[in-house]
Amino acid sequence: MIADRHVALPRDARPPAWADALLRRLLEPADRESLSGDLLEEYREAIVPARGRKADRWYVWQVAGFLWRASWMWGVIVGATVVIRYLSDTLAPVTYTPGVIHVRSQLMSNALMAIFALAALHAVWRTRHVRAGLLVAVASSVIGGVISIAGTGLMLAVWHDPATLRAWQTSGGLGEALYGVPLLLLPIGAITGTAGAIVGKGLAWSRRRTV
Amino acid sequence: MLGAFEQAVLLAIVRLADLAYGRAVLKDVQARLERDVAAGAVHATLERLEHKGLVSSRLGSGTPVRAGRARRYYRLQPAGVRALNDARAAVDTIWHGLTWPLKGRA
Repeated sequence: MIADRHVALPRDARPPAWADALLRRLLEPADRESLSGDLLEEYREAIVPARGRKADRWYVWQVAGFLWRASWMWGVIVGATVVIRYLSDTLAPVTYTPGVIHVRSQLMSNALMAIFALAALHAVWRTRHVRAGLLVAVASSVIGGVISIAGTGLMLAVWHDPATLRAWQTSGGLGEALYGVPLLLLPIGAITGTAGAIVGKGLAWSRRRTV
Repeated sequence: MLGAFEQAVLLAIVRLADLAYGRAVLKDVQARLERDVAAGAVHATLERLEHKGLVSSRLGSGTPVRAGRARRYYRLQPAGVRALNDARAAVDTIWHGLTWPLKGRA
């Protein structure tokens, strides 16, 4: 009966405005109208009559799918970068001196910043929206964080002898690997992603002017 | 070589003919595959197929239920027809001499 109230005016039903805005930012200009129109049509003609109040959840889920498609590849690269760093620390341990930035840490940090900036730049180049770049960079950091936690757990499951655990302890400790770095990916992704997005917007703007 | 999902999308365009726009293709694919398919998955496939030159697209008019947003209609190109025929021929060749469904212990 609750659903019936929603069936009455499916043609006027509106998905969450923030989700609609997010979707339109993630789409290329050429697809913005047609794709968001397809989703709105499905939402109003099929989902609202069938699911009532839960139709909004469906819409958000669809938008999340678009964000996932724009971000997963970058997230995998981020996760792989962190896992490779920990794998090298496991197989060829080094002793880290407090206050001194080791070359591996420096390499990983630079690589991560470059990946986030590229992810954002690519997203902005496609969509012409700075916020799309920021979103993709942040989503990539979340995906990368999850992969790095899973990879660290897997490495611990394989190598957990005292010598390896000692090596991990001297290279930053388990806490850094399991939640320190994954959490740190978020601000790094947001900051370097913003920088990449601004550069991407500038490039897109200058290309439009020259073409 | 076309994947199963790409074939489903291309065949939906063939079936729908002049009415092959994004949502209609999505509904047809869902009905044929008998599962829920994300709109983004169909869109990504259509984009890839268009990039490969297997389909072309044009913008149509919007409708009130879409808040006036345009529909993008897809049409199969000769390369798409060839790709579908090749995919079907490959399956037929692989299955040649066998009866379907196969019998025996799984």
